Formats: sequence, C-alpha cells, structure tokens
Amino acid sequence: MKKRRTAATASMVMAGVLVTAGCGAGGPSAGGGDFTDDKVVLALLNDASGVYKDVSGPNSKIAIQMAIDDYQEKYGDDAVVDDIEVISADHQNEPDIANTKAQELYDREGADVILDVPTSSAALAVATQAKNKKKVYINIGAGTTELTGAQCNKYTFHYAYDTWMLANGTGTVVTEEGDKNWQLIYPDYAFGQDMVKSFTGAIEAGGGKVAGTIATPFPNDNFATYITKAGAAKPQVIGTMHAGGDLINLVKQYNESGLKDQGIDLAVGLMFISDIHSLGVEAFEGTIFTDAWYWNLDEKSREWADRFMEETGDRPTYAHAGNYSAALQYLEAVQAAGTDDADKVVEELEGKKIDDMFLRNGEIRAEDHQVIHDVYLARVKGPADVKEDWDYEEIIKTIPAEEAFRPASESGCSM
Amino acid sequence: MSAVLQYTVQGLAAGSFYALAALGLAVIFGVLGVVNFAHGAFYMLGAVAAAVLLDTLGLSLWGALIVVPLLMLVFGMLVERLLVQWLLPLDPLYNLLLTFGLTLLLVDLVKRRYGVSGLPYERPSALSGRVEVGGVGLPVYQLFVIGVALLVCLGVWLLMTRTRVGMIVRAATERPELAGALGINVGRWVTPVFGFGVALAGLAGVLAAPFRAITAEMGSDFIIILFAVVVIGGLGSIVGAVVGGFLVGLVEAFGQAYAPTFAQVLIFVLMAVVVLARPAGLFGREEATA
Amino acid sequence: MLEIENLSAWYGEAQALREATLSVGAGEVVTLVGRNGAGKTTLVRCLMGLHRHLTGSVWLDGRDITSLPAHRRARAGLGWVQDDRGIFANLSVEENLLLPPRVSESAWTLEQVYDAFPALGIRRRAGGTTLSGGEQQMLAVARVLRTGARVLLLDEPSEGLAPVIVAQIGEIVRTAKQSGIGVLLIEQNVRFAATVADRHYLLAQGRLVESLDNDEFVERQDELLEHLGI
Repeated sequence: MKKRRTAATASMVMAGVLVTAGCGAGGPSAGGGDFTDDKVVLALLNDASGVYKDVSGPNSKIAIQMAIDDYQEKYGDDAVVDDIEVISADHQNEPDIANTKAQELYDREGADVILDVPTSSAALAVATQAKNKKKVYINIGAGTTELTGAQCNKYTFHYAYDTWMLANGTGTVVTEEGDKNWQLIYPDYAFGQDMVKSFTGAIEAGGGKVAGTIATPFPNDNFATYITKAGAAKPQVIGTMHAGGDLINLVKQYNESGLKDQGIDLAVGLMFISDIHSLGVEAFEGTIFTDAWYWNLDEKSREWADRFMEETGDRPTYAHAGNYSAALQYLEAVQAAGTDDADKVVEELEGKKIDDMFLRNGEIRAEDHQVIHDVYLARVKGPADVKEDWDYEEIIKTIPAEEAFRPASESGCSM
Repeated sequence: MSAVLQYTVQGLAAGSFYALAALGLAVIFGVLGVVNFAHGAFYMLGAVAAAVLLDTLGLSLWGALIVVPLLMLVFGMLVERLLVQWLLPLDPLYNLLLTFGLTLLLVDLVKRRYGVSGLPYERPSALSGRVEVGGVGLPVYQLFVIGVALLVCLGVWLLMTRTRVGMIVRAATERPELAGALGINVGRWVTPVFGFGVALAGLAGVLAAPFRAITAEMGSDFIIILFAVVVIGGLGSIVGAVVGGFLVGLVEAFGQAYAPTFAQVLIFVLMAVVVLARPAGLFGREEATA
Repeated sequence: MLEIENLSAWYGEAQALREATLSVGAGEVVTLVGRNGAGKTTLVRCLMGLHRHLTGSVWLDGRDITSLPAHRRARAGLGWVQDDRGIFANLSVEENLLLPPRVSESAWTLEQVYDAFPALGIRRRAGGTTLSGGEQQMLAVARVLRTGARVLLLDEPSEGLAPVIVAQIGEIVRTAKQSGIGVLLIEQNVRFAATVADRHYLLAQGRLVESLDNDEFVERQDELLEHLGI
C-alpha cells in the first residue's frame, strides 16, 4: 500500500516536471484528468459509537456510497475518474481525536475530502487541518456558526444547518405565531450557551422576550424540578437546547409535569427524526422544531429515502441526506474541474446554485462557504396522524433559503 | 408553598430510584465486601429489559415490575458464580475493577444491539395524569414510584428483621468469620444476596423506564450519585441506603429549584459534610475494634 | 473426644505453633495456659478452621475434621466462645441465641437458657451489644450451649469480669462438664482455672511444654503465675 503510494507520488512529481510530454506514468484515468493516486477518496469522519451514532454514524457511509453510485451511473464512461472510494473513521466526539484522524485521513489515507464531523469543537479542529493541508472539508453534522464565521477558511464548507438557522427558524417563527413569552432551559456548555444567545436574538427580533434562562448540568437525567420552575414563571413556551439522551429525559419529564395541559408549549432547539423514532411520537406530540430536511417532503426526497431504507432498514435523518448530497455535489465539482485538486474543486463549488434531493433552492455562498437552502418548521404529529413508520413530522412552514441562514454580511468571515 | 410540595414529590420520586438501587448496593457490600461498580449498568439493564419486553412481547409495566427483577436476580447470580466469586479471596480492589470492566462491556453490548438514541417506553394509562392535592397537580406516576419504593424498602426491612434469612444476612454482614464459626454457611448466601442486590437495581431501572431516557449510558452518572448515597447513608447500612437515597433525591430537587447550576454539586457537598462529621456515614457503624 | 495431633501452624515464614498434641475427653475440663503470644489464639483458630496454614490433624469424636470449613466444624459439635465474646450488634439478644443451628439432642431450649440466665430473658429484645460485659459473656456461653455443642472452646471467659460473674461462669462450666461436654479453656487467670479444670497444658513459644493434673497445678501455682508474668 505504502509502496504504491510512494510510487504514485514519484510519478506525480515526474509528471509535473515533464509538463508537456504527456509522460503516461499516471495511466488509467478515463478523462485524462489530474488525480492524486488516480482516484478520489471521500472520507467520512463522525461518531461511530457514541451519542450521535444514530443521527449520522455508519449509515452516512452508505449514503455516501449511494452518491458515488449515482455519480457513476450518471456519467458512465464520461466520468473523469473511475476509482472512487469511501473510507470512514470514528472521532468519538473528541476534538483531539478528530484532529489526529483528520491528519491521518488527509496524509496517509489519501482523502480528498472529509465529510460530516458532528460536535462543534471537533468540527473546528478539522477545519484547521483542512486549512493547513489545503484539502476540501464539508461539514454536515456540527452546529457551530464559527465554521462560516471567524474561523472560516477557503477549504471548509458548512452544508446542512447551524445554531443561527435553528434559532431563527424555531425562535422567530414560534414567536411570530404568538408564543411571545419564553423560558429557555439549556445545558451549561459551549453549544447550549451558543444556542441561548442565538435564540434570544431571534426571539427578540420576532417581538418576543426571554423572561428567564435555566442552566442545567451536562449530562443530566433529572429535569423534573427545572421544568416545574420554568413552568412556574407562566411562560407561553419553554425552549430546550438539550440534545440526545438529555433531550429525551427532558421531554419525558415535561410530559409528566402537566405543563402541556396548561397550554405551555415545548420548543426544541435541535432535534433529529431519530430522536422521535427512539422515543415515540406520543412523547413528542406537538413539539415544534426546525428541520433542515425531511424524508417525506416530496416525491424526490421520498424516492431517495426508499433507497436508503432498502440499504439500512431505517429512514434517513437530514444528516444522512446531507452527507449524500455533499458527496454528490463534491463529485459533480470534480467532474466539472476534471481534477481532484482542492483549489480547482473549491473554485467549482463556490457560488454554485444547486437543486437536488436535499438542497432546495440551494447555493454554496462564495463569501463564507455557508450552503444555504430552504429549511422547514416542523411539528411532531400525534399518534393518530401517523400513517406509517417514521411518518412523524408535519411541515408547518418552509423558510426560504435566503431567510433561513445568517446573512453573509453578518458572518464576520474573511478568507 | 405549592411549589415546595411539587419539589418534595419530585425529590422523593428521584430519591426512590436511588434508595432502591443503593439498598442493593448496600446488601452486596455488606455480605460480600464488594463495591459493585456495575450497579449502574444493572439499573440500565433493568430499564432496557422493560423496554425490550414491552416491544417484543407486549409486557406492560405491571408485568415488568415482576418479571424483570426475577431475570436480573438470575443474571446477578450467574455473574457472581461465573466471575465475582473467583476474586472474593483477593483484595476488594479486584472486584471493583472486575465490575468496572463489566460495566463497560454491558454498556457497549447494549449500544451495539439497541443503538444509542434510546428505546421508547409507554406507561399504562392508569399511571398517567395527575391528582390534585391542595390545589397542586401531582403526577400520578411519581407518586406511584414513591409508593413502590417505600413498599419494597418496607418489605426488605421486614425480610431483614423478621426472618431467619435476614438474621443470617445481618450477622454475616457484621462479622462473616464469626458467623461461619457459629455454623452458618456464609458462602451459601453470597450468590443469592448478590442476585438480590442486582434485582433491586433492575427494579429501579424498570421504574425509571417511563420517566427517563432509556439508553446504554443511563447508568453512568447514576452510579456516581449512588456511591454518594451509600457514603452518606453509611457503607453497608441498609437503613442508611434508604434514608440516604431519599435525602439525595430531595437535595437534588431543591438544588434544581434554588441553585440550578449547582444541583449536582450540592449532593457532593452534602457527602463531604457527612464524611467530615461522621466518617462512617449517617447510619454506619464505626469498625468494632477487637 | 477432641484430639489434636502434631499440630504446627505458620504465619508466613514464622512458625506460631510447634507440634502440639493434646486431647479433651468427654466431661473433662482442660485448660491451656500461656502468656500472650504463646500461640493460644492460633491454636483456637486452627481448631475452628479459620487458620489454614498448618500441618498435623484435628479429630472430633473419632472423625478427622482437619480439612473442614468453619461452619461444618461448628455443625460437627465444636462450640466457640470468642475472647471478645463475639456478640452481634445488629442482632437482638434472642437472635444472637437463635443464630447458630442446633447440632445435637443435648441442645438447650430457650426456656432453659432463660432459666439459667434470667438477665438474658429480661433483655431478650435488646440489641446484643447493649448488654453489660458480664451479660455478654453469659450470652456468648449460652449461645453455644443452646446449639448442643459437644466440645466448648472458651477463650479467656473470665477476662475483665467481676469476681461474682467469674464464679457464675465457673458454675456454668461445671454444669456443662456434668452433662458430658468437653471443655477446652484458654485462661491466664490461674486461680479461676484451678477451680474448674481437671488437667492443664502449659504453652510457651508455640510448644506444649508441660501437662499437669490439677493437684500439681495448684501446688505450682506461684511458679506458674511468675511464668505468666502476672
């Protein structure tokens, strides 16, 4: 393996020196393009065993493979590269592990692009590696606005969602629809604090107010008294910024508290369809949240979700769909550039308008590399309205792409 | 005032899980001298078993309250026979390490089999809703949990004080060697006692199922609080485990209400104060010096 | 009844008992006298199966019990009264009495125990260790009598007790003797030993150095007291 790579590198150097001769050491690439190792390697770096495993995890590798298959089917003999590989690594949601793994993937495994990377701190660590190595990195799984803000760089793209988009969707829309008086409960660490800031901004912009915030330990399994306390302030809605197991604990105990019967709604900052699936719709019924994508949006998404289900047995989350779309659009850019050279691929990606199964009215914003697209305000259905497995969401509003994300002018990004 | 009532019920409900599980921990420590680190994992297994039995066999909470502790009893006895007993003659540290390793193993197996997002659980409708007490709506389920916990604690107390088995366990807990020299086959009681302790953790897990996220990790923080409970109550003390459990539940609830960020810290502050004032815990007995 | 042959015991490398051979017959009271550290406690622990690093053999009623675990020795008829009395704090007086299983027909009933020790009957519900030292000693002795043990091992029963209580214990020992029970009495109280025992063994540095009948023992009392450093 190693020997082969050294040989390939050597041949690359030779090819560079003897520019014109067309010295065929590179060999088989179909379109005659310029490819490291004669192949494209897509690397999935995410949580393969921990709390975000079901949200994205190993099933995203299957989604990426589907993108490769679709690319190859579409271009057939015209594809600029025949050999496309997907590899994966587990970062365990630790920034230092993510950092090491990213280096390994770029340097030793020959990755041309790293995809996914949930957990904000890990996501930012990988962005630094992408910048240093000058390799493409498309983040799907993390929520931090820093990726397209102060820590943005030329090789990093943010594809599916961020905290601003969640707060804007849920905070603004719920406020505008009449729930003006909020209590926020959040886990006391970076993501939670970030979310509270974003939500407060969005709620106030919508004409509402945040009457109180309650910080909770993280992780935590007993929220009963926090909820009672938030309810005692008689808000119209309680917003929770918890995720994963903590969110499930909180929702179960909110249902227990009887606040629902008193007309105090629950709005959730970050939620995935896998959370609803694991806890059941009864528990989440009526909860409002912002979704980047839903498998049953329309014919196009449903068709893809059927394929995904055949492969995995589950319906996709938006992270799965986002990984598919990002991989496909990356390959489209490679096709257009005729190379996997990062600078040329970035050039193709920047400013590109896209409408695919995942991105609706999508655009890869050149200024800050935020990928904007339509997002959705969803309400969890009651058990009576569920017609099939995973039929959990009612889309109550589509938020158009240009309103859904933070304007580039406010991003603070300079590349 | 109404808020105080609510906090109290919430605290006692949370305390019920602690009391039941700590009771099991105390009995095991008393008779075997084993600090069972896997107790949190057994609590998790109880909840997971309840969810799986509901999903596959349609076994409701009522059934699970009986069946799951029995399954856990058998499982606990197997663990003792196959693993724990071999390390009993050695330093207690070995069994602490063994049960710690067992925890990692069980958590990973559950993750592998059932994923990480947790399992759904629906309680019987009879236990949903609220009852009005002095103008305050108190959740029926929380009251149910407190009731079950008190009943079980009372049952265990009667078992320990009114039966020959209880007498033997008390004697073996206090001075195992002497009990042996008086003709009690202490070894014979070790396996069932371990199983019994594990069953109590499983019961706490079943009760937690409708109320808490059922995930492989649910026992990881639980065990830490549990250790605080037994240290506060007195290691190996049965009454101490129960009182400590409810006390910690109350501290947690009132902490959440009046010092939200410090709710968990307060528990350990309480522990530190108790240890400083009474090193053996509230109900612990100072080591008898011969 | 109780026979010990060539019993040697070690703690690690250190030998605590050297080829001790002694016997206690039915209805016989035998004392083991020796200063602290002479090996008395080791001998008792070997007899009860609590110390296993040993050679030699122990026989009870013609049966080799050397390799039995402690609880089976108790069931075979060895009744141990610990030097700290071994009363369970978590058990009431009556529970302390009822804890050990009955091992023979000659076991006392609770009524017999309460007749013989009225103080225990009055405080039957009290916690075992709430009794006075003398009462605890009574309880410890009564506990083994209630099992019907054939041989009693009494470890320093008179230690720290008022003379009137010591006399009472002597009375119990004599009663036991009359009913055919063999008694091995570990004592430093030479005067007390002389009032109840038939024979005496002198233990020094892990070795049985002398065996005396009671008359010789009484004669040499002063010499023995000096030896014991009392």
